[in-house]
Amino acid sequence: MENTGKPTSVLTARAAGLVGCTRCGRVHDQGVALCVRCGSTLQSRDTLALQKVWAWWWAGLIAYVPANIYPMLRMTQFGRPHESSIMGGVIDLAQHGDLWVAFVVFFASIIIPIGKFIAIAYLAWSVKKGIRTRDVGRLHMYEIVEFIGRWSMIDVFVVAILTALLQMDFIVTVSPGIAAFSFTVSVVCTMISAQSFDPRTIWDTEKETPRV
Amino acid sequence: MSDQQPSELDLQPIKRSFWRNLSPLWAVPLLSLVLALGLAWQSFSDRGVLIEILFDEASGVTAGETLIKYRDVTIGEVERVDFTEDLTKVIVYARVNKAVVPYLDEDATFWVVEPEVSARGISGLSTVLSGVYIQGAWDDRIGTAKTSFDGASTPPSVLPNYKGTRITLRAADGQMVSAGAPIFYRGLEVGRLGTPRLTSTGDAILIDAYIDAPHDKLLNSATRFWDTSGFSVSFGSGGLALNVESIATILSGGIAFDSIFENGGSISTSAVFDIYDEEAEARRSIFVGRVQNGVAVSVAFGESVSGLTPGAPVQFAGIEVGEVSEIRAQVNDENPDQAITLLASLNLDPLRLGMPNDATTEETIDFLRVSVENGMRARLATSGIFSSSLIVELVMMNDTPDASLILRGEDEPILPSVRSNIPDFTATAEGMIERINSLPIEELLDQAIKTMASIEDLAADPDLRTVAPATRTLLEDTSALINSPDLQAIPTDLRATITDLRTITEELRSADVSGTLTRALTAAETTANNLSTASENVPALIEDLRTLTAKANSLEAEALITQATTFLASADAVINTDGARALPQSLTDALDEVRLAVAELRGGGAVDNLNAALNSAQAAAESIDVAASDFRVTMADLPRLSEQLKGVLATAERVIASYGNRSDFSDETIRALRDVSDAARAVEALSRQLERDPASLLLGR
Repeated sequence: MENTGKPTSVLTARAAGLVGCTRCGRVHDQGVALCVRCGSTLQSRDTLALQKVWAWWWAGLIAYVPANIYPMLRMTQFGRPHESSIMGGVIDLAQHGDLWVAFVVFFASIIIPIGKFIAIAYLAWSVKKGIRTRDVGRLHMYEIVEFIGRWSMIDVFVVAILTALLQMDFIVTVSPGIAAFSFTVSVVCTMISAQSFDPRTIWDTEKETPRV
Repeated sequence: MSDQQPSELDLQPIKRSFWRNLSPLWAVPLLSLVLALGLAWQSFSDRGVLIEILFDEASGVTAGETLIKYRDVTIGEVERVDFTEDLTKVIVYARVNKAVVPYLDEDATFWVVEPEVSARGISGLSTVLSGVYIQGAWDDRIGTAKTSFDGASTPPSVLPNYKGTRITLRAADGQMVSAGAPIFYRGLEVGRLGTPRLTSTGDAILIDAYIDAPHDKLLNSATRFWDTSGFSVSFGSGGLALNVESIATILSGGIAFDSIFENGGSISTSAVFDIYDEEAEARRSIFVGRVQNGVAVSVAFGESVSGLTPGAPVQFAGIEVGEVSEIRAQVNDENPDQAITLLASLNLDPLRLGMPNDATTEETIDFLRVSVENGMRARLATSGIFSSSLIVELVMMNDTPDASLILRGEDEPILPSVRSNIPDFTATAEGMIERINSLPIEELLDQAIKTMASIEDLAADPDLRTVAPATRTLLEDTSALINSPDLQAIPTDLRATITDLRTITEELRSADVSGTLTRALTAAETTANNLSTASENVPALIEDLRTLTAKANSLEAEALITQATTFLASADAVINTDGARALPQSLTDALDEVRLAVAELRGGGAVDNLNAALNSAQAAAESIDVAASDFRVTMADLPRLSEQLKGVLATAERVIASYGNRSDFSDETIRALRDVSDAARAVEALSRQLERDPASLLLGR
């Protein structure tokens, strides 16, 4: 209420002495332990959120390394095996002239995961450092990251479908490679990482952070 | 209640220890890290050992795709294909399973498996679609591991852990076998051949042969190998033999073997066997090996031994008792005439000669010596009708000069020989060919060519072309003559006359006037006699007749006959002249007269009117005379004939002059008249002849 005179600044629930239920959205006064509506634990700020974010983030990053090194799928055509990693597949496609497909694969498998890593890391880092921004850019960034997370599985979906469809013994057989598994792990980790992030902390100032 | 909160709030800022503050979620990235590292370590540890295989050429080998297989199980993959520094070979870098690496020692071989279609079948068919792969083979013993290998261009004949026996075959000709060709035992494939190679001296082909494990027990010292490549046609003393093996052997060759005799000894691993050209030969070879303590004797043949080869059988009464082991020439010191003797060494089997099994050489030679004294001789013989190959026969001769087995100490004793009775077919054939050669075929042909040329010239001669028209004219003339009514009337008239005569004869016979007739004829003769003397019309004829008769009596009778012959020939010629054509008419007239006379004779009574008939006959004779005169006139037309007649007359005059006695003339005249009678008969004969064949007169036959 003291802050109402500053229309440009964001009044957080915490600053207003309130706490919202993250599940049902019921607003309580600070100090209420359980949501009176849904019974979930009320917490003004998740104190371990950043640790979770970073833990999952690292796990995802570590998994992302073999996802790029190892072959994504292993195709055996007329007894001739052919393995392709993500980047190898992109290069193959580009060399075959399918530049658009190559770009899509490159975008979905390289740009987006890496962008996600960068975005999550930036969010976590900026919150930790208490960098104040007046706009809502970080919130948009977070929302994009969360939205796009489910689409990063395109590669895995493709591999899964191919594996299911192309099982014709000698003629052609497709089996998923280690990279597919790693990539899945990586994507899952980054999604959890993104979900673990408590977007409410975006609004906290540097001074308030220790009080969480 | 609410004032408790600030105290709690105060507690919040208290710095917890780092570890206490640590979220258990950090286990997740740790786990992830461990997994990733584990993955990395696993893939690193699974990574095979890089080996390099050198190939002359690596067709179809692709880096990252071509597999390395052992017993058709993938054990690795080609990683890189490169060249050696001097570009002479291809290096294939491949990662192979660690498990097999210890076995990759000296005997490991690699080769590229490609689809292959050969006479023995199709192999590597799967590689048509999947691409080639590199097959490796090695034994089951761990040796000193290697990482660099020489790849083979073709699959090895046998795999390193081959169970079986390796032997070496020797052949004079490598054409009949090829690497991988099958080895048969009674038609069953029990092994195969390796790659043929030349001996260091280059005088034979050596081939490694592999007999598979259960069958290699069949090998022993009695084993003989022979070539079954394709089909063989042999034409020998035994007749025609055609052998055809499987199609595969026709294309790639094949070897068969068998134990030729029982109880062969075991063989060593380095055994070398000869490949015989055909089974029969291989089976014959038994003899070499079987003759135990064979006795060697020599035979000196005094004739050509062309056709006798080492290995030719030695027969005694049709039974093979040995073989010719060697043929050589030997300088003969003792006999200067025959400086070089041809010696054939025979290897005789004492067993087959009927000697006991344990007979010593001395005993056998002694046996031979006795046999020779009893007349046993060696002789060359042909092995068959069509064969030019010779065999040696031991024959018992009874009538040969005495001879004995010549013992020469250490050397082989010499068995006496007799000349063979082989028909020298070759010599005969040569002689025939020589005779054919010596035929003057070329001269004959020359002559024939000349003759043909002459015929051609003659045919082209214009004179010859005129022959045909002349001939035609001649024929036309002849035809005209034959068609002339006068000539055609002759036969009719003659027939009528003859009929009349026959009737007269019948009547005369019926009247039994033969005696009267004889008298009448005598009277006629007398009349004729008178006629000849009285008649003025026939002096020339009588002259002729006289001269003829005189000629007959003359010493120059022969000349007269010659003259007569010439005269007749001339007359013959004259008959063919135009004058002769008038003759038939005259003859017809004369015959008419005769017929009239005969008619009168018939009408007037046979006997009483005989004189009248004779008168008529005289008239007839006159007519004949007229005809003869005409004839003479005709003859007179020909000066040549006249000259000849003159010559005859002159001769006659000479004869007459030589006689000088006119009183004898009447006798001569009577004889001449008899001659006239003969002439009349001749005329009759002529008329008969004319009746039979009128043309003969015209044609002068």
